[in-house]
Amino acid sequence: MRFAIQYRCAYGYEQAVSDQHNAVRVQPAETPTQRVDSYELTVTPRARQFNYRDYFGTEVSEFNVWESHDRLLIEARARVTTSVPAPPPETGFDPLAVPDYRDRVEEYLVRDGSGGRVDELARELSAESPLELVRSVCELIPSRFEYRQGVTYVGSTVDDLFDAGAGVCQDFVHLGLILLRRHGVAARYVSGYLFAADADGGEDSVEVDTHAWLEALLPGAGPDGGYGWVGADPTNRRLTGEQHVKIGHGRHYADVPPVKGVYRGAPSSELDVNVRMTKLGG
Amino acid sequence: MLARIGHDLYWLGRHMVRAEHTARMLDGLFHSDLQGRPEDPESVTLSWDSMLVIMGVDVPEGVERGSAQRSDVAARLTLDRDTPSSILSCVAAAREGARTLRDTISAEMWEAINTFHLDLQRRDLSTGVRTGPYSIYSYVKERCGLFWGLTSRTMLKDGARAFLIAGGRIESADMVLRMLRVALPPIVEGREDEAPRRDGNALALLHAVGGFQAFMRSAATPPNAEPVARFLIFERGFPDSVAASAESLHDSLVRGDAAWRDSPPILRLARLTADLEFRARAGREALIPAFRLFQHELELVDSEIDERYFSGVAPSAAA
Amino acid sequence: MEGGSRIGPGLAAEPNGGLTAGFAPEPGFYDELFEAPGRPRPHAAALVEALERMGPDRLRAAGERRDAIFVQQGITFDATGADDDNPVVDRPFPLDLIPRIIPAGEWTRIKRGLAQRLRALNRFIEDVYHDREIVQDGVVPWELIVTRPAFERAAHRIRPPGGVWCHVSGCDLVRGADGGWKVLEDNVRTPSGISYVLENRIAMTRLLPELFAGYRVRPVNDYPQVLLAALRAVAPAVNPTVVVWTPGPANSAYFEHAFLARQMGVELVEASDLVVHDATCYMRTTDGLAQVDAIYRRLDDAFIDPLAFRPDSLLGVPGLMRCYRTGNVALANAVGTGVADDKAVYHYVPEMIRYYLAEEPILENVKTYMLDDPEQREYVFDNIERLVVKPTGESGGKGVFIGPTATEEQHQAQIDLVKIAPERWIAQETVALSTVPTVSADGTLAPRHVDLRPFAVFGDDIKIVPCGLSRVALREGSMIVNSSQGGGSKDTWILEGDGTGDGFEPVHDVYNPPTMPGMRQAGWAEQQRQQQQERGR
Repeated sequence: MRFAIQYRCAYGYEQAVSDQHNAVRVQPAETPTQRVDSYELTVTPRARQFNYRDYFGTEVSEFNVWESHDRLLIEARARVTTSVPAPPPETGFDPLAVPDYRDRVEEYLVRDGSGGRVDELARELSAESPLELVRSVCELIPSRFEYRQGVTYVGSTVDDLFDAGAGVCQDFVHLGLILLRRHGVAARYVSGYLFAADADGGEDSVEVDTHAWLEALLPGAGPDGGYGWVGADPTNRRLTGEQHVKIGHGRHYADVPPVKGVYRGAPSSELDVNVRMTKLGG
Repeated sequence: MLARIGHDLYWLGRHMVRAEHTARMLDGLFHSDLQGRPEDPESVTLSWDSMLVIMGVDVPEGVERGSAQRSDVAARLTLDRDTPSSILSCVAAAREGARTLRDTISAEMWEAINTFHLDLQRRDLSTGVRTGPYSIYSYVKERCGLFWGLTSRTMLKDGARAFLIAGGRIESADMVLRMLRVALPPIVEGREDEAPRRDGNALALLHAVGGFQAFMRSAATPPNAEPVARFLIFERGFPDSVAASAESLHDSLVRGDAAWRDSPPILRLARLTADLEFRARAGREALIPAFRLFQHELELVDSEIDERYFSGVAPSAAA
Repeated sequence: MEGGSRIGPGLAAEPNGGLTAGFAPEPGFYDELFEAPGRPRPHAAALVEALERMGPDRLRAAGERRDAIFVQQGITFDATGADDDNPVVDRPFPLDLIPRIIPAGEWTRIKRGLAQRLRALNRFIEDVYHDREIVQDGVVPWELIVTRPAFERAAHRIRPPGGVWCHVSGCDLVRGADGGWKVLEDNVRTPSGISYVLENRIAMTRLLPELFAGYRVRPVNDYPQVLLAALRAVAPAVNPTVVVWTPGPANSAYFEHAFLARQMGVELVEASDLVVHDATCYMRTTDGLAQVDAIYRRLDDAFIDPLAFRPDSLLGVPGLMRCYRTGNVALANAVGTGVADDKAVYHYVPEMIRYYLAEEPILENVKTYMLDDPEQREYVFDNIERLVVKPTGESGGKGVFIGPTATEEQHQAQIDLVKIAPERWIAQETVALSTVPTVSADGTLAPRHVDLRPFAVFGDDIKIVPCGLSRVALREGSMIVNSSQGGGSKDTWILEGDGTGDGFEPVHDVYNPPTMPGMRQAGWAEQQRQQQQERGR
């Protein structure tokens, strides 16, 4: 599928601020199933952009506005072409116990210290294959927790999710990661865009938020039958497909936030983010 | 030099001068108070009130205007730790600033401030303020005199010293203007609701700033209110006059600023001093506008200094 | 106090019931000055003699003068006391007046070993953040590296200006019962202590100049210039502006930051003095913004930039990593060196030397057990009463558990603690740390355990100034030497020769100052001596 994506993030400050530094991660990634045809980032007030690829391979753009300003506008436009990922095979769990697996992806396997409630939930999961485990996680979480905005925030932990019984995609993914890692499956957090409309029929253009899902390293899913990263979306109970456009991944949200910044001034600010995704013909 | 260091030096100068001149002002008022005419108590009490206002200190709750007691005011302005402009607070702030400047000022200068501060903390000031404050104020004057003396003897004559002196001079100009407002409001502010003759105050003020001999040697008239006011504003020969302070402030900033020709505060000061030179020759009706001009321009100079040399540095607590 | 030719070799000092008469080395430990009671080692003979001549009273008086000087100068190193409620108090830094002596031959070996180690560590760190060849070749497991808390993902693929990562390192060395040197741990983040080395030497030459008679001690006072040259060498500018970046006066090592800035003649800055525009770092001066090219920073990575690291850090400069990544500013030490500082990684250093340099290590490691390995863990639990257990990511002696001095209950508690996260611990054999005679509480000399931290500076080349911080555990029997845990220090003499003084050498020329009216010549003698001591031999 082909998409035109327009990301817009606007900050408004009650009192003018200055010396603002931001790191932005909104550029779609190049992957075997995703190609970026064009990309452009504009910042207002104008600022010089410094681009690099970080440790996780995500494209980052940093900029600095030092004179006094009371609003900041970050706009990104991209055109991407996605293809359907090959369906991953069913395999046993043995390939996960190999030292080579651990060694490669240790940082995505690190056990979290979360307590009893996570353990309980983890025990409810049982599967014959790692792939089935991933699917179960994507069923279990949305059936136990409600998708609701406003109860959790950027710094929320899994405990907060349990307490509230509800959360957003970020929280679902964090929980999913813990559950998978507990069962020895390496899993990473993915940030991206989801064209959240029916692929056939329905609108061509929707307004969405940036979305989060996970990727699990499964045996046999790689190009020559080796290990490969398989995307799964616990918020939407499914493996990822053509409508998921990836930005980047990390161990958790903090490794791949769309916008991160600091500035000098009073902490009161208003944030308005929206993303418009348009399906393009052809 | 680092903006922060320049800023700390500037404020070190300001705090030391503020402490000293507050002491001088209180001393002068006490003196004139004691000589006040018993049949006219109003004229005396009013100035204690205005002293608080002029020093930027809130009049305590429940106290009616015009009834501020001498001892209360003196206590507030001498030893109240919660009043940022009190002598005790100023010296404490000076010492705090000096600590980060120990590589810039001489060891002797540091010793002088440190000892000064520790002494004040240790003394029982409250009794002294009530009964015989003279000794406290004379101690303060002495220690400040020592500090500046050591500065002129032991501190390298570089940009750092320029900022220290600049802080002292701008504060000095500011304090003399305040003293004039407290002691001689009808002369400098044209406030006719006050008693017209303030000659007693004028003399006390002159003694307080240590300018009696200088006045007698330079002015042709007796030390009455108006000539004293003119002297303290315009007489460049007297180091602590407002005009002399402004000139010295200008010269210090020139030494501390490599690009002084483009510096807004320096340009403003140059214009101010030239303008006042002019007005000094005019008649007595020039006194009040000159006073107002000084006040206004010095405020602008202060914020321009802050912006040009210290921008981005957190403002001092006692600003 | 006459001029100083010393008594020739072979004449032992008469034990006169003075300082060293009662001194006996502890059996099982190597004492650096004495072979046996009454028998000083050859290089220590002159010192022992001088001590005898001095006598206990003079030594005590010197101690009092030392205390007064240090307090007055404000030299302290805050100690974290046994209980956290005790506020930190200004106390004189415990410089013990008996120096430690290292003859030239030994020092050469130490120097070579450290330089070798440092080269390997530098290559390792570079490798970790770039191609990871040592991992691909199976020498060091990736799992280990990526789980180190100090592994900084932000340093990925950055090439620091000058190609140097560990500009300043302090590797801690210890000496075992056989007299052989071993490396106890590597410190390549923000090692501190050099200011004490420099101040101790100045103090010793003032307080006890007569002890120096008969020795040619190599001078230490060029360290700041060596450091400055290194910082200038790596800076990405032709006439670079160098600064020292301190967290501020509240930091326990602030004295050292200010000291080094002063000695190098550069500005001492705090975070509020620095600002980033685009990808250039500036400091705020009264003449406007001045570009900064090299920063000797005494903050841990996590605090230097709230945008890249801990967002709550008020001690950082937003955008600094961007300048660093772009190559516009050099940071010493580079970001991410802590990955080599870790005690678990320490275990692999001999392998790194073989891998990167194709050489055999000159200095050995202390035998270390990796507790994330089940077999080694088993062994350690069974033998814990003999071993030292340390957390991998801490520094300054925090969290160290000493098996031999703990009770059975404490052993079990430690075992339980390790089981929670075994990958965060290592264990080591106890080293029988060497001793040096030290002034004890009652004024007599007694053996106390020491270690040695030499400082290496890496600019366009590795330079190891002939000095070291000898930390001494002041409590009897204790082997915890960290100054933050109540240890002290000794002046460390690296000699030009082997200290047995082949041939007499007059230590001072005789100097007759012109007589001033009203001044008596006699008053000059003491100053003469000190002046010549400091003239750097």
